[in-house]
Amino acid sequence: MSVVAFERKPCAGSWSETELNTMVAALNVAIASGNGRGWETGMTETDDAQFYLLGPLPDQACELCVSRIGGRYILEDGSGRLLFEHQNLALVALHANAAVRSMRGWLVARAVLLWCTVRHMIHDKVEPLLDGSEELLVELAPQLAAFA
Amino acid sequence: MKRGKHQEVLAEKLQRKAAPEARQLRKQAGDWLKQRRADAGLSQIDLAARLGLKYYTFISQVENGFSRVPTEIMAAWAAELGLEPAAFAKHLLLYYEPEFHRLLFGAKK
Repeated sequence: MSVVAFERKPCAGSWSETELNTMVAALNVAIASGNGRGWETGMTETDDAQFYLLGPLPDQACELCVSRIGGRYILEDGSGRLLFEHQNLALVALHANAAVRSMRGWLVARAVLLWCTVRHMIHDKVEPLLDGSEELLVELAPQLAAFA
Repeated sequence: MKRGKHQEVLAEKLQRKAAPEARQLRKQAGDWLKQRRADAGLSQIDLAARLGLKYYTFISQVENGFSRVPTEIMAAWAAELGLEPAAFAKHLLLYYEPEFHRLLFGAKK
């Protein structure tokens, strides 16, 4: 009789290579975007593993954190908000990926909002001034031409 | 307005300089918080429970220097450690926003 040696799932201590690969692959969009972004690992007081996705320079603060407590994976953001928890790391990594994408979406939305505000301001404040000066120019142009 | 090349170089230099400093200071804040928690005789699990957190992982996140104590729970965090909230916030500001702390209190960086 042959016994198949299944890889034992780690439920305490530091991250296994498989676990790290799963998380890095899921968060590659954020990690590969550069500007000092990256990831680090750490341990809690009771030796539960933590994985931190770091934000861009200069702060490099934690944006997402995955922790493993007794075989359960906990996904939190940098402010401690619980985003998801499950026993399946692949599923947690999927949620981490979605969270990163929504963060990027939120940034794009902010940029669009800023752009719209600036355009609105230009439309409201600058264009009337330009219109006024254009009308003035139209009125004055014949006189200036005659004078010249 | 377009930024001049020298401004970009300066910004890049400042960013490079600020990066390790910000992380190092956050780590120092974490160490200080860990010490204060130990003084209060609390474990990370105890503190998390008292702050109404489902898991204690965020306490570790902060104490390991990867996150800050959020402003909205700063007073509660201080109270659980037996510290005066204003003094607690002032001390954390020294690590989290050293320049702001210097401007407000005139202390050294």
